[in-house]
Amino acid sequence: MEAVKEKKEATAKPKKEAIIVIKGLKKSFGKKKVLKDINLEVDRGENVVVLGKSGEGKSVTIECIVGLLTPDGGSIKVFGDEVTDMNDNQLKELRMKIGFLFQSGALFDSMTVRENLEFPLTRVLKMKDQREIDERVNEVLEGVGLVDAVDKMPSDLSGGMRKRIGLARTLIIKPEIMLYDEPTTGLDPITSREISELILNMQKKYKTTSIIITHDMECARITSDRVVIMDDGEYIAEGTFESLQKSKNEIAREFFKDIS
Amino acid sequence: MAEQELELTGWKKWFAEVGDQCVFFTRFFRNIFKGGFEWSEFIRQCYEIGYRSMMLVGITSFIMGAVLILQLRPSLESFGQVGMLPKTLSVSLIREIGPVITALICAGKISSSIGAELGSMKVTEQIDAMEVSGANPVQYLVVTRILAVTLMVPLLTVIGDVIGLAGGFLALNIKDSVSYTLYLHKCVDSIDFSDFLPAFVKTIFFGFAIGFVGCYKGFNSNKGTESVGLAANSAVVTASLWIFVIDAIAVQVTSILFYK
Repeated sequence: MEAVKEKKEATAKPKKEAIIVIKGLKKSFGKKKVLKDINLEVDRGENVVVLGKSGEGKSVTIECIVGLLTPDGGSIKVFGDEVTDMNDNQLKELRMKIGFLFQSGALFDSMTVRENLEFPLTRVLKMKDQREIDERVNEVLEGVGLVDAVDKMPSDLSGGMRKRIGLARTLIIKPEIMLYDEPTTGLDPITSREISELILNMQKKYKTTSIIITHDMECARITSDRVVIMDDGEYIAEGTFESLQKSKNEIAREFFKDIS
Repeated sequence: MAEQELELTGWKKWFAEVGDQCVFFTRFFRNIFKGGFEWSEFIRQCYEIGYRSMMLVGITSFIMGAVLILQLRPSLESFGQVGMLPKTLSVSLIREIGPVITALICAGKISSSIGAELGSMKVTEQIDAMEVSGANPVQYLVVTRILAVTLMVPLLTVIGDVIGLAGGFLALNIKDSVSYTLYLHKCVDSIDFSDFLPAFVKTIFFGFAIGFVGCYKGFNSNKGTESVGLAANSAVVTASLWIFVIDAIAVQVTSILFYK
């Protein structure tokens, strides 16, 4: 009997642990209510894609998660701690566990790629050993396939390369959560696909939990474990990419109508 | 305040702006003593702000010194006081014209470039990227720049004063023949401690105002390309206004302390 119980425990699926829990999130800019009632739970190791039209406030949600914006109402818990109640030091500690890839890559113009990558290591992790720093820089650059670009300035890089370096800079501190703000916007279909596959590979390699904001269906298909669709400040549909393809929700159908 | 986009007008807007500046000043002041001072960035800024402005300040001061002599000469000649030219020039240059002209040049060159640089960093999400990575953008971008300008403007003023006197010497020798040692002796002899010290102290305040306004305008610019231009423009206008306000206060304080 004991042996059977042990076997059952061994074969049981790992228990899901929600590390991001958003309840009733509200945010307005002036008179415009951008987020009306956002509810979302993201489990450890899960990739959640948020789909929605431009200007719907998809990015606002993830900016609230890292404390860049202060919500007007609702609750955001990350690793069980309420983000809206955090002081500067607590917020800094939380941000060390979260990587945020901006739409533009947001590379620091005045620094080379190497200096961009070293910045979070020396300023955030306070690393001093140059050999260790170089190892980390090479590791992430190999991961994104841009070792040769190490001494280039951001202005010498293409859009896709900037996104890759931006991704490398966020991954260099080995975050537990990754937030992607439209990672494929403005890229050609081939580069978009490469970036999407890179996100998936990096997620497997670093075992991160991710929220990916996008309106690129190919990116959503490649990277998602679960997709939520946002409309008019609320999440209106949720499920796997395949299940949403068959959804009867009109807005969901609009998103998936060109997908074969 | 920037995230909230409050629709304020008139006096309310003005008070809100003053409140924002007080908050920004507190953040700057707290971060000076926070530890982990960015020495390399501070030295780089001193080079960018000080060394790169030296040519402009030098040329302007040289012309200013020469023009002052050429303008003063007919007036003093009518009183038979041509011998007073070196003294008049050195006192007016060191007490007032040198500091104010140098500060106005720096407001135009430095304040606008800081406003535009930080403004474009805001627009391209580089400041947000620094913040979400757990680094401290105020310490890295603001503290270093404000302290560098506060240190460099007094030094540039001293250099400008010396070059201005040299310009005056050249202009004086167009019609007269004055030896370099006599000219220098007359200049230095007429300058008192109470001429140099208040002028030097007020340039420290000028420098602080130029750096603070540039950083504040850039750091708080809105997210749009137009706002970069607006940040640069309003940085120059506000810094120039502050220079005259500080100068007016400095004159009163100097009169009370030194010329009772």
